[in-house]
Amino acid sequence: MSADKAALPPPDRRPLGPYPPTPEMLAEPVPEALQRAQADRLRAAWRTPKGWRYWTAVNNTEVGKWYCLTALAFMLCAGVMALIIRLQLAVPDNDLVSSDRFSQLFTLHGSAMMFLFAVPMFEAISILLLPGMLGARDMPFPRLSAFGYWCFLIGGTFVLVSILFDIAPRAGWFMYPPLATQDEGPGSDIWLLGLSFIEIASIAAAVELIVGALKCRPPGMRVNMMPLYAWYVLVVGGMILFAFPPLIAGDFLFELERSLDWPFFDPTRGGDPMLWQHLFWIFGHPEVYIVFLPSIAIAAMVIPTVARRPIVGYSWIVLSAVGVGFLSFGLWVHHMFTTGLPSISLGFFSAASQAVVIPTGIQLFAFLATLLVGRVTMNLPMLWIAGALAVFTLGGLTGVMLAIAPFDFQVHDTYFIVAHLHYTLFGGMIFPVIAGVYYFFPFISKKMLSERLGRWSFWLIFTGFNICFLPMHLTGLLGMPRRIYTYPTGLGWDWLNLISTVGAFIIAAGFLVFVWDLLRPKGKQPQPPRNPWQAGTLEWSHDIPEEAWGVRSIPHVTTRYPLWEQPGILERMDAGRYYLPDAEEGRRETLITSVIDARPLQVQRVTGPSWITHVAAAFTGGCFIFPTFGYYWPAVVCGVFAGMAILYWLWTATARPPEAERKDVGLGLSLPTYVSGPDSVGWWAMWITMLGDATAFASIIFGFFFYWTAQDDFPPDGALHAGAGETALAALALAAAWGLVLLARRWNRHGAVTAARLALAGAALTAATGGGALALAVWPLDPTSHVYPAVICAIALWICVHAALAVVMHLYCLAGSFAGKLTPHHDADLCNVALFSHFFVLSSLVACAVIGLAPRLI
Amino acid sequence: MNDESNTSDRPREDEDRHAFAAEAHSLWRITFAPTVWALHFVLCYGLVSLSCAKELIPIATVQAVLTALSLLALAIIAWLGFRSLRQWRVLVTGQLEHPEGTPESRHRFLGHAAFLLSVISAIGVIFVSMPLILIGGCQ
Repeated sequence: MSADKAALPPPDRRPLGPYPPTPEMLAEPVPEALQRAQADRLRAAWRTPKGWRYWTAVNNTEVGKWYCLTALAFMLCAGVMALIIRLQLAVPDNDLVSSDRFSQLFTLHGSAMMFLFAVPMFEAISILLLPGMLGARDMPFPRLSAFGYWCFLIGGTFVLVSILFDIAPRAGWFMYPPLATQDEGPGSDIWLLGLSFIEIASIAAAVELIVGALKCRPPGMRVNMMPLYAWYVLVVGGMILFAFPPLIAGDFLFELERSLDWPFFDPTRGGDPMLWQHLFWIFGHPEVYIVFLPSIAIAAMVIPTVARRPIVGYSWIVLSAVGVGFLSFGLWVHHMFTTGLPSISLGFFSAASQAVVIPTGIQLFAFLATLLVGRVTMNLPMLWIAGALAVFTLGGLTGVMLAIAPFDFQVHDTYFIVAHLHYTLFGGMIFPVIAGVYYFFPFISKKMLSERLGRWSFWLIFTGFNICFLPMHLTGLLGMPRRIYTYPTGLGWDWLNLISTVGAFIIAAGFLVFVWDLLRPKGKQPQPPRNPWQAGTLEWSHDIPEEAWGVRSIPHVTTRYPLWEQPGILERMDAGRYYLPDAEEGRRETLITSVIDARPLQVQRVTGPSWITHVAAAFTGGCFIFPTFGYYWPAVVCGVFAGMAILYWLWTATARPPEAERKDVGLGLSLPTYVSGPDSVGWWAMWITMLGDATAFASIIFGFFFYWTAQDDFPPDGALHAGAGETALAALALAAAWGLVLLARRWNRHGAVTAARLALAGAALTAATGGGALALAVWPLDPTSHVYPAVICAIALWICVHAALAVVMHLYCLAGSFAGKLTPHHDADLCNVALFSHFFVLSSLVACAVIGLAPRLI
Repeated sequence: MNDESNTSDRPREDEDRHAFAAEAHSLWRITFAPTVWALHFVLCYGLVSLSCAKELIPIATVQAVLTALSLLALAIIAWLGFRSLRQWRVLVTGQLEHPEGTPESRHRFLGHAAFLLSVISAIGVIFVSMPLILIGGCQ
């Protein structure tokens, strides 16, 4: 076969030419005519679609704006629910809403604020701002952001609208079984499937943001010079990867119980509701910090600007972010102090809850120190930050109280908790985010918000907030439980509740002012100055009037505050003196740099506007929404179509061999246009996704050992085990599939294309055999009879689904090889599949050991 | 010892993959001390459960073993902290902040961050170990 002989020497993929640029190179002017021609070509490549095609845009600025506005809209809906809750509780024995409706209201209020506002808002703001801060053109996977957004919109609307049909979830935002598993009606399924769908969008955003912060920094921006916001994004992205998968695993088990009656949380058949609590809070507590850290990151951007000096204690803030990221995973049981765990265990979590205060405090002190040594200009964003620090500190102090288990026993499930969590979330999220909106508004929409309305809104929300939530501490100490829809008079709660209700409406008035200021037409307003706050970071090099290209040219950065500390950088960026000032081929491109020192490595082609993201999101939505109402076949059909849409998208737009192997990116530097393996962004995305996937798998395995620990007879005496022979065959076949993929990668790289194709076909065959053998191994078991066969079958199901995915990936590479998309020197797809295989073989072997060996040994 | 600290920024012949691995390693290194804390924490939680819920091991044994593990964890963190203190080189240079765009500055910054994280991890291990000593059995 001719392809076998085409073992040409591999193309040179090293960066060639001078780097870093010398001052003389940067001082050389760019001719005017060339500047104009370059700018025209760039503008054409990055033009935002017009008319109805506007909605096909994938640029981070457009997707980020939609994302923010959608999250805001969901927040306002959840806020209205809160107002109804407060109205119902304003006076004793009120009958404004029924008990059932009230349960729907508080469940949806909490779920929407957390899953539809707080976490997505972080993703939205980061997608919007991060490329600007990094001087990047766009995120590395724009269509992935867009796909995530459309999933979020569909899933969020679905969950919220359920309340209009009186079928909303009603078991509280943490959905404890057995209340939630035995609840009649589709409420619990709506919560599970709607939010699982959004969790997937969150993980997509985390992949995008981590790769963005690691690989899309401008040349020269080493890790010690990243804007602090990027550090926080990195930490929070990592936290999402370890926090969300346990919840996804929990959802997987929960939905198997709801729809197939597999008794994971049913104690009468060996299940244990506590497993849900553990899985939920392993997610739930880190999630609080997932919400808090990026918001406080906004403070880390605003404070140096208002203090007119670099941040004090940069390394200390990095310590604080990373330290909080780790410690926050050791706190989850403090939500479960009253569940009867041994007191030593409570002690561990109590101690870790106290320890997390130290890094959290350090960053607040670093901010205060910066303000103390700087020359502070008290502008509007700073006012909101000041409010945030005050409110958050109060919430933090009650947090320290609650971390002490005996105190928590007293106030568990009372309004004291409600007060505490709202203090932390308003102070740690709402106030800093609004500060960010005021601060970044000129960057986002090239207009200014009103100073006067902003001050009104601040004082309304700040006083309203304290009027509403400060009395709740007392209401809670007087014993009022959470989630009761009404209460008799004479318990000393009447006045306190009425005051809280008044406060809630003052907050609402403040939000009205804020939203009006945000949305009011600003057509007549003059254009603001380019850098209205005189900030020092790269996002303020944005163009006014707006240009869709992100940056005119990607600068070489050698300081933490380039606009303050690198004179002339703005003029040179505008003149196209730096990297990638042109789009000769009319393609969207951005620069990929190395992880630590940000040395330029590659020119990455990024994808443009498309409908495929909508198609994929709509079918994915169907796949999650149909099962809610028991329509399983339409869901399967949707799932297949979603898979096909994603394959089409990958096939047509990713890892295509380029028309030229390298290109000149300016300043004499020439970079490759195609790389594979760890140099490529796709490999990193696969790595990060698989890390999340492995965490979810580990959570299910944790479930197995949890049952074993918590029960005397697990597995029950005389229980039927999975077939030993079939399980062993599955382990062998799945290991063989892994070996064949590695051989295929090696042979393909050495030009032995036919051998590589045979190995890929073999890998597909063995992976299918392995999945099939595992299915046969568990086939005789009855998962509805007891939790032991149920958890074995759940593990097998997980591996079978992954085996099916593996088969699709192997066939995709095989097809790529025949179609000329995958060649000996263009093997990014195969490298990524090999990476998937590493993770898959590991989880397969663990699964086979747990299914086949563990029950016979323990 | 600190070979990457002298790395020139100019792309060199054989540099790519080798330097990449060295660089990536130094970013991972800042997470080592918190990872020790996390492993210690998981062991504490897991072994106490095996003792109190499954009743496999007597709680007194678990407390003794875990206290010994706490000392081991502290020793590892101290060693990591000492290494990162040397990487930070503050005792030699007296320089506390590293905002410059040089490989040396980046190298010391990562040392500084790793050192601070070792301190916070040590505090975490001490905090989490206290219940082992202060609380009696499985009540």
